[in-house]
Amino acid sequence: MTGALTWARLSYRQQKWELLLVVIGVVGLTAGMVWFATTLTALREASPECLAGLSPGFASPAEEGPPAACQAFLTEYYGLENWASNLTTLAWVAPFGMGVVLGAPLVAREIDGGTAQLAWSLSRSRVGWLLRRIAFVTLLGLGLLAIIAVGSELLTAAIFPDRTLGEDFVWFGRRGVPIVARGVGAILLGVLVGAVIGRVLPAVLVSILVIGLAFTGMSLALDQVNRAEATLRPMYAGPGVPQQFDVAGMQVDFGIERTDGQFMTYTEAFERGLNPNFTDENGQVFESEEDLRSGDPIGRDAMLVIPGEKYPLLVLRDSAVAVAVGLLALALSAAVVVRRRPA
Amino acid sequence: MTVADPILETRELAKRYRRGVWALQGIDLEIPSGGITALVGPNAAGKSTLIKTWVGFERPTRGSVRVAGIDPWKDRSAALAHLGYVPQSPALYDGLSVEDHLDLARQLRPSFDRDYARSRLAQLDIPADRGARDLSGGQQAQVALAIALGTRAPILLLDEPLASLDPLARREFLHVLTDAVRSDGATALLSSHIVTDVEQACDRLVVLGVGKVLLHDTVADAMSAHSISSSEHPGAVASFGAPDGSRIWLVRGTGERPATLDEVVLGYLASGRSTATPAAAA
Repeated sequence: MTGALTWARLSYRQQKWELLLVVIGVVGLTAGMVWFATTLTALREASPECLAGLSPGFASPAEEGPPAACQAFLTEYYGLENWASNLTTLAWVAPFGMGVVLGAPLVAREIDGGTAQLAWSLSRSRVGWLLRRIAFVTLLGLGLLAIIAVGSELLTAAIFPDRTLGEDFVWFGRRGVPIVARGVGAILLGVLVGAVIGRVLPAVLVSILVIGLAFTGMSLALDQVNRAEATLRPMYAGPGVPQQFDVAGMQVDFGIERTDGQFMTYTEAFERGLNPNFTDENGQVFESEEDLRSGDPIGRDAMLVIPGEKYPLLVLRDSAVAVAVGLLALALSAAVVVRRRPA
Repeated sequence: MTVADPILETRELAKRYRRGVWALQGIDLEIPSGGITALVGPNAAGKSTLIKTWVGFERPTRGSVRVAGIDPWKDRSAALAHLGYVPQSPALYDGLSVEDHLDLARQLRPSFDRDYARSRLAQLDIPADRGARDLSGGQQAQVALAIALGTRAPILLLDEPLASLDPLARREFLHVLTDAVRSDGATALLSSHIVTDVEQACDRLVVLGVGKVLLHDTVADAMSAHSISSSEHPGAVASFGAPDGSRIWLVRGTGERPATLDEVVLGYLASGRSTATPAAAA
């Protein structure tokens, strides 16, 4: 235990300024989220009549709309909600920022400053050194991300008090576990870039690119995988009755449900030589006015939706992939550190 | 030159860098146990590369290296257990104090003798609580040496630690090194391009030039076996320019006057077609 504390102290001193910068940023962001959460909750409780009839998180009025006297209240409320939403965007960016600010310089500074020569000549195992070198900073970074993740959940719960957030895709990736899991991936990717490049500033700049590309690729790949979880919903529940919007679900795509039950997007329809330009009040799609008149549709307007109940599964999948990317980056970092020159 | 039981060894060691430059070309070297060996040569002679192959920082392109009989590329952990290393420039952590460095060394190598290193530094009046960035160059070099000595390793590899030190700091550094080596019975290999500084401290001499070993002998034998001639001599090792502009010949055997160690080194560097001049080598 004493050894771990000594190592934590030494690790902190080696990266004091980055850590202080990150801690200040996290404290500021979390404090902001908590403030917005309590302020929005207090406003809502003070004037519940103004928000009655409005969908939480949406300014679109229901049948009657809010009383006219609520206009000032609603302006303030939705203004604050907009700012709060920006904070969750910062929560989404935070893991990637940690990778750049904390991960990339970790090994790069040791090589750049020549201290790797001292460390690697003293340590019997470079892999052991690497694991210890990144342990404190990574754990601290993940702890800070966990604080952001909780703050973001609190803020989301304050804005959407009537929704079950454990089964709701609202602000997916901007709250909860994925923030921490992506932090694992981003920090360890940053470490890998730093170990390969061995110079602090270039490593920081390149890590922005590498982390950005890696997570964009990961996101695109997951979109394809997650598509299998989606269910097909017609746009109309009945003649002239639009389908109720599934606010908890994740809208994946819009297109046409063919008469044989297959789904195709409008782009795919045009690519197949179809001409889906005519629709009736039931959302049925026709190729021509003649087909419309004769009631011979090619399908009906539909959307692919991942229902809210799948939220835990997608969170788990997203997080597992992010952690796996991180572990792969760690393994590659170890291979690089074992083979490379220390300066 | 072969020795009975070398503690540091290379066989046909060659190292080529990516850009195609050969830093070492077929080095056969055996360093015996005990004492201080000076590894002398001009810049780019391959001194650092040679030391780094023993530490396991450079992989040989060809040939092999051994540390106490162990190949550092096959068993790095075992090889490092025998080594204490002082890098070319004191590689200390800016954010850490002297005491922190000793703690770090202890963390990285559990056998590190912190008290021994601490007492060495205390003898030099280097404050343990002072930040590394606030130390002078000489003090930083002493901290790096104290860390290497604190490993209690039987072999110390010192990669030009004197290069950036003033004469007083160099002398102090060498004093600490010789004292530690003699009291602990360790073996030290000290690379330098400053011949006069190592003359008093070192027992053996290896002259390295253009990636080859040009001379390997004890300091005493190297000096007694050579002399200087002011005219061309059939047994001359090489000729080179004297400080007064005249040309002199290093002779293996009897000449007009005894050779200094500086002249022995210069003569062998000249024989290795080195471009070294007296000014550069001094």
